[in-house]
Amino acid sequence: MKGVVFVELLRMAETVLGEEAVDQVLDQTELQSNGAFSAVGNYPCRELLSLVDAFGERLGAPPEALQVKFGHWMFSRFVEGYPEFFEGKKDAFEMLEAIEGEVHVEVRKLYPEVELPSFATNRPLPSQLRMVYESDRPLMHFCLGLIEACIAHFEDQADIQMVEQSDPRKFRAEFLIEKAA
Amino acid sequence: MSETSHPLPPVVSRRRYERALIAREEAERLLEAKSRELYEANQGLLKSKSWLEKAVQERTVELEAARIAAESANAAKSVFLASMSHEIRTPLNGILGMALALSENGLTDEQNAIVDVIRDSGSLLLSVINDILDLSKIEAGKLECEHIPCGLGQLLGSVEKQYQLGAQEKGLEFRVSILEGAGIWVKTDATRLRQVIGNLLSNAIKFTDKGSVAMLADIIPLDAGWSKLTITVTDTGPGIPKDQHSRLFKPFSQANSGITRNFGGTGLGLVISRRICQEMGGALTLKSDAGQGAEFVASVLVEPCDNEEMIGEDLEHSEAVLTGTRWRILAAEDNRTNRLVLHHMLKRFGMQLEMSENGEQLISRWRAEPWDLILMDVNMPVMDGLRATQIIRDHEHEECLEPIPIIAVSANAMSHQVNGYLAHGITDHVAKPLRRAELVRAMATALTSKSVD
Repeated sequence: MKGVVFVELLRMAETVLGEEAVDQVLDQTELQSNGAFSAVGNYPCRELLSLVDAFGERLGAPPEALQVKFGHWMFSRFVEGYPEFFEGKKDAFEMLEAIEGEVHVEVRKLYPEVELPSFATNRPLPSQLRMVYESDRPLMHFCLGLIEACIAHFEDQADIQMVEQSDPRKFRAEFLIEKAA
Repeated sequence: MSETSHPLPPVVSRRRYERALIAREEAERLLEAKSRELYEANQGLLKSKSWLEKAVQERTVELEAARIAAESANAAKSVFLASMSHEIRTPLNGILGMALALSENGLTDEQNAIVDVIRDSGSLLLSVINDILDLSKIEAGKLECEHIPCGLGQLLGSVEKQYQLGAQEKGLEFRVSILEGAGIWVKTDATRLRQVIGNLLSNAIKFTDKGSVAMLADIIPLDAGWSKLTITVTDTGPGIPKDQHSRLFKPFSQANSGITRNFGGTGLGLVISRRICQEMGGALTLKSDAGQGAEFVASVLVEPCDNEEMIGEDLEHSEAVLTGTRWRILAAEDNRTNRLVLHHMLKRFGMQLEMSENGEQLISRWRAEPWDLILMDVNMPVMDGLRATQIIRDHEHEECLEPIPIIAVSANAMSHQVNGYLAHGITDHVAKPLRRAELVRAMATALTSKSVD
C-alpha cells in the first residue's frame, strides 16, 4: 500500500492525539517498518490495519468509525492535491462514477505496480447510485468515509446504505446512495 | 472523536527522529531509482523521436517525389491526348472531306456504296476519338456544358429521324413520345443533350433484336425558373443482370467482355452520358434485369426560355446566306489535303475563295484587297494562325478599321484551347475534321452579324 496513506493516517492521528501519543502507539505496535513511513514508499496493508486498531483502542472508538473518519480526511487531501479530477463534475454521482474510469487510470500511469480496488457503478434510478467496492483489503468503512465526504463536498444531500458482501476471496461492499428529493 | 490541536513538544524524541531519518532515506533511495528510470525512459524517447523524425523526413521526400512524378505523368498524359487529338483529326479531316467530295462527283451506285463505307468508318473513328477526348476532359474535371437556347421539339425530332432508320432496318418498332410541354425552347447544352440521348438510343437499338425501342420525353417545372427534363429510353432487349449494373458506369468496362466481342464499342458511352447528366444537374439511372429489357432514365435541369431561333441556326437559311452574295473569303491552311477539302466544301456557294499556305502569305493577301471573312488554320509553319490574327487585330485597331470575322479551323478541339483562341481575337471556332453544316453555320453567323454591325 502506498506510503502516502500511512503518512496521512499518522498526520490525522497527530492532530487528534498529539505527537507523543502517536509515537507511543508506533512504539507499542508491532510493525515491520518500525513506523518509519515515507509518502513515496510501499508498506504492507496489515500495518495500516494494526495502526487503525491501535489508534481506535487508544481513543476508545471502534476501528470502523476511525476508518470512516480517515476517509473524510483523505478526501479533503485529494481535493487539495488533485483539483483537476474535480473539474467539470457537476455532482457527487459524476465524481464517484469517474473514479474507476478516470482517477484510477491516471494513478496507474504514475504507479504501474499499484493494486487498486474496483468501484463498479450504475444508476438504478436517476436519483440513485449503486457502487460496488471490491478489494483484497478490508477498507469498506474507509470507502464509506470517502463517499460521505464526496457528497458533502458537492453539497449534495443523500442517504447511504452500505451492505457488506465479503466472501473468503474478496472484500466487497455495496453502497446504495439515494439523493434526497 | 474531536480534532483538537495539541501543542507541539519543544523537542522530538530520539525514536521520532530516527523514524523520520529512516523514512527520508527510504524516500531518497526510491526517488533516486525513480529518477534513474525516468532518465533512461527519456533517453529512449529521445532516440525514438530522432528516429521518427528521420523516418518522417525520408517519407516526405519520397512522397514529394511521387507527387511530382504523378503530376508530370498526368500533365504528359494531357499533352499526349491533346496532341493525339490533333494528329488523328487532321488526317481524318482529309479522309472524310475527300469522301464527301467524291460522293458529289457523280459516282456510280457501286462507287457511292464504297464511299459510304469510307464515310461511315471515318465517322465511327471520329466518335471513338471524341469519346476518349470527353473521358479525358471528365478525368481532368474540365467537362463544360453550355447554356444556350435550343428548341427541344426540333432537337428530339432530329434525334428521332437519326435513329428511326437503324431501328427499322433491324425490324424494331420505334416509338417516340414527347409529352405536352416537352417540345418547348429551353436553355441547355444541345450538343451534350443530343449526345446522351443518342447514346441511349444507339445502345437500345444495338442490343435489341426483336420487339421495340421507345423514347419518352417529359418536362416538370421546378423552382426558380428551372425545369427537369427526363428522357426515358426503354427496350425489349436481353436486359442487364442487376449484379452487372455498376460495371456499366465504369470506364472501359462493359457489362461483360462478351459485349465487346459481339458488339464492339469503347465502353465509354454510359460513363460519359452519366457525367454529362450530372454536370447538367441531373442523373442517369437504369432499371433492368436479365431477360426483362432495359429502361434508362436521363434527367437534366433546363431553363425554359423564349423561342430565340437564332440567325444561322437553320442550315437552309445559312446556305442561303452564303449563296446570296459573292463573299470574298480568305483562307490559310498549310496542309494541301485540307485546302482541297475546304475548296470542295465551299465551291457550291460560288464565293471568291483564296488560299494561303501560312499566316504570312495570308497577311499580305489581306493587306492587298478587301475581304469579308478569314478561315484561319492555327498550327502553320512560318507564321501560325494566332500570330497572324494578332497582327490583323492590331492593324485594324490602329487604323480604326471594322474587325474582319476570323474563324479558326483547327483540330485542337479541347475546350481550353478553343477559349484561348477566342481570347486571341478569333471570332469563332470550327473543329476539324470539318463538317459542312458546322462550317456553313459558323460562316453564315459571322457574315450576317458583320453586316448587321
